[in-house]
Amino acid sequence: MKNQLLLTLTGLIGLTLLTGLVLIFEWSMFGLLAVFFMTVAGVKFYLVAFEFMELAKANRFWKVTLMAICFLILTVVSLLAI
Amino acid sequence: MELIQERPDNKNIFYPPGGLMIWIIILLELVTFGLGLIGFAYYGRMEPALFHESRLQLNIGLGTVNTVVLLVSGYMMASAVGCYRGGGKKRAIHFLKWTLLGGGIFICIKSFEYYEKFTSSIDMEDNMFFTFYWLLTGFHLVHVLVGMVILGWMLYKMRPVDTDISVDDLESGAAFWHMCDLIWLLLFPTLYLIF
Repeated sequence: MKNQLLLTLTGLIGLTLLTGLVLIFEWSMFGLLAVFFMTVAGVKFYLVAFEFMELAKANRFWKVTLMAICFLILTVVSLLAI
Repeated sequence: MELIQERPDNKNIFYPPGGLMIWIIILLELVTFGLGLIGFAYYGRMEPALFHESRLQLNIGLGTVNTVVLLVSGYMMASAVGCYRGGGKKRAIHFLKWTLLGGGIFICIKSFEYYEKFTSSIDMEDNMFFTFYWLLTGFHLVHVLVGMVILGWMLYKMRPVDTDISVDDLESGAAFWHMCDLIWLLLFPTLYLIF
């Protein structure tokens, strides 16, 4: 349990630093970069919700609803930012 | 005092971890912030140059540090719940203190960021970007403060030897704290990175 949490935290911090690195190098295709940032945000959202918040233990209704709201927000924002 | 008690089945739709009420609040908060972010992105599409110039005035380094601080405090909170559930009250208190420290650091960094904006005369009426910036980050900061009050109260109730709070109460507080994480994970890339 504790190792799993630590592994999740390491992954989350790694993804955050990866975002920073991508930004520092200012790679081109800025529209696609927005999609990349929002995808990384979605993965981090999933990890925090399922591992820290224990969404994995909850009824399927809560899993589907929470992730659907996240997916909807990230998709609409990405499409508007491209 | 015995901490281990009969646990409700979290697979039941009415008993998610932390309780039904906090999950209804979480969904409503996410929808509210989500609509704010969609509104922000909509106006960003209307005025991309203005939003890009305004975004460059934000301190991405501080935003990144704040993200890491919130993630670490979320880990501490999850560890506190795990320890308390297993009967390790002392360790749970220890982790709860670290969680609160994380919240305090987040607020300090955010305050410094706000101070930077104030001294640069950037306020809510500057342009549409900063109207959304102040509203969304300010509203989120209020949630972090409320989360700290809730967790602080729980810590206060847990500290005496002869008193305890229920695991359900701690799970509810933890769910609220993680909600602050989730909202920030959506706010940070939208405000600081994509335009």
